[in-house]
Amino acid sequence: MSTCSSTLSARARERSAPVSSQAGIGLRAQHHAEILQRRPAIGWLEAHSENYFAHGGPQREILAKIRAHYALSLHGVGLSIGSTDPLDSTHLRELARLIRDCEPVLVSEHLSWSSAGGRFMNDLLPLPYTEEALTHMVARVRQVQETLGRQILIENVSSYLQFTQSTSSEWDFVAALARDSGCGLLLDVNNIYVSAMNHGFDPRTYLNAIPREYVQEIHLAGHTVNVVGSREIRIDTHGSQVCEPVWALYRAALLRFGKVPTLIEWDTDIPALDVLVAEAAKADRVAEDARAIAA
Amino acid sequence: MLSLRELQLSFATAVLDGSGAAIAPWIRDSGLDPTARINIYRNNFREGFLKALALGFPVVQRLVGEEYFRQLGKRFVSEHPSRAGNLHHIGAPFAGFLRSQFADTPYSYLPDIAALEWAYQEALVAPDAPPLDLTPLRAISPEKLAELRFALHPACKLVSSEFPIVQIWRANQEDREGTEVIDLRAGADFVVVRREADAVELRRLPPAEFALLRTLSRGATLGDALQAAQALAPDFDLPRALRHFVGLALFATVHTPNTQPEFQDMRGTYP
Repeated sequence: MSTCSSTLSARARERSAPVSSQAGIGLRAQHHAEILQRRPAIGWLEAHSENYFAHGGPQREILAKIRAHYALSLHGVGLSIGSTDPLDSTHLRELARLIRDCEPVLVSEHLSWSSAGGRFMNDLLPLPYTEEALTHMVARVRQVQETLGRQILIENVSSYLQFTQSTSSEWDFVAALARDSGCGLLLDVNNIYVSAMNHGFDPRTYLNAIPREYVQEIHLAGHTVNVVGSREIRIDTHGSQVCEPVWALYRAALLRFGKVPTLIEWDTDIPALDVLVAEAAKADRVAEDARAIAA
Repeated sequence: MLSLRELQLSFATAVLDGSGAAIAPWIRDSGLDPTARINIYRNNFREGFLKALALGFPVVQRLVGEEYFRQLGKRFVSEHPSRAGNLHHIGAPFAGFLRSQFADTPYSYLPDIAALEWAYQEALVAPDAPPLDLTPLRAISPEKLAELRFALHPACKLVSSEFPIVQIWRANQEDREGTEVIDLRAGADFVVVRREADAVELRRLPPAEFALLRTLSRGATLGDALQAAQALAPDFDLPRALRHFVGLALFATVHTPNTQPEFQDMRGTYP
């Protein structure tokens, strides 16, 4: 088993090598036409896999046109990989077909689950960090990688609660998952920050616990601060600019992991394309500065 | 200690059904009580679902207003929770749900509008298929013509209503004020929803043409479909209707009696 996943991993690393060193942005339907018209200078584009599961019609066609000009990564939000329900074979088949059609440089899913007993919540729900959950996640990630014939990346999610059962920290869980399943990691620096604030840990502890070689992509996004009762809770909305503490954490991540393909995500209250392009340019400047400091 | 399975089922009960008693003891109470923490997830789930539903059914939302649409959506999701990771599918049972809510009320046109909007969504993502080539049919003897079976193009959907649903739909598009007065007794609509190039088009058909198409769509022979059309229009002009349909690319395939087994295999692939 381990031989199989390491071969897979080596192959996938080769394939994922040409991801741009310039930051990318999330691909949203509102921007399709403008991206094709203007071809902004961004590193690459990341599509939510499920948005392009259509078998025909305009979405698939547009994706193919965009793919002709940009490297593309696929980011799944609905596979429910951490669920104890069986994996949805139709969903996996659709994902495999999309991968075959658009040859993405990276394919990612979340460290979460979203369904139980056949009912879907279509949200990224947290797992307890137990031995049982780790064994389950490792088996599921392997199953997906074997079905797709390639390595996937797993992304950490923001969370608003912790389970009393957890016997491990999230960072140790994530690192063990990558080690045992052969998956790569997509570190969402915003999510690390949000969870750190919500649960009271030092986000740098998280970064420092992740072995460098696992990290293949970084996400940056905005979040909101809500007051619940008398307590501030940060909610991962992907609906605003990256805040200063998250930029600071990104700098720390760059110093630890080196230059990793970085993506700006924005999913609600989607702004003009220029705003996203400017955020990506800012990420590039931050990365330049970090390189200068490291040198 | 809960197994992972038990934890997920209890968590789902809290998020979907609003009863968090089983999961609350397993959530850390650090600064904010477990119920408040679960409610963040319950709220995220509900808002995400309502937003996706409103995106799929903008005309229904505009007709009933945002606030009432939310109430309907909350009742709908409790009866028809999402069954897939892809939110596209949540709209499938919406017209049926509205029918159960509004049958025999002055709003009984709402389910038909929902059916039209669902057909629109389905047509948008349906598979592509090359237009039908009628050349092989020239070789068929006239007595065999009645045995032909046509399969509709996958991006072609049929919707009928006793109300003028196309007019209601058009009057409530984003770029229209929605102030137009529509007489609900203005007549029935027989609509074919089809995709052309990148856009979806709604087209009203004469009742007999619609009957022909609907009968064919259920797998019947051309002979049987013609009978259904003639029941509504005794002087029905079949060649003209077929030319019309082929011109609109409503058919994907045609099967002569000797290729029928192949056709039956293919039927299973269409929803």
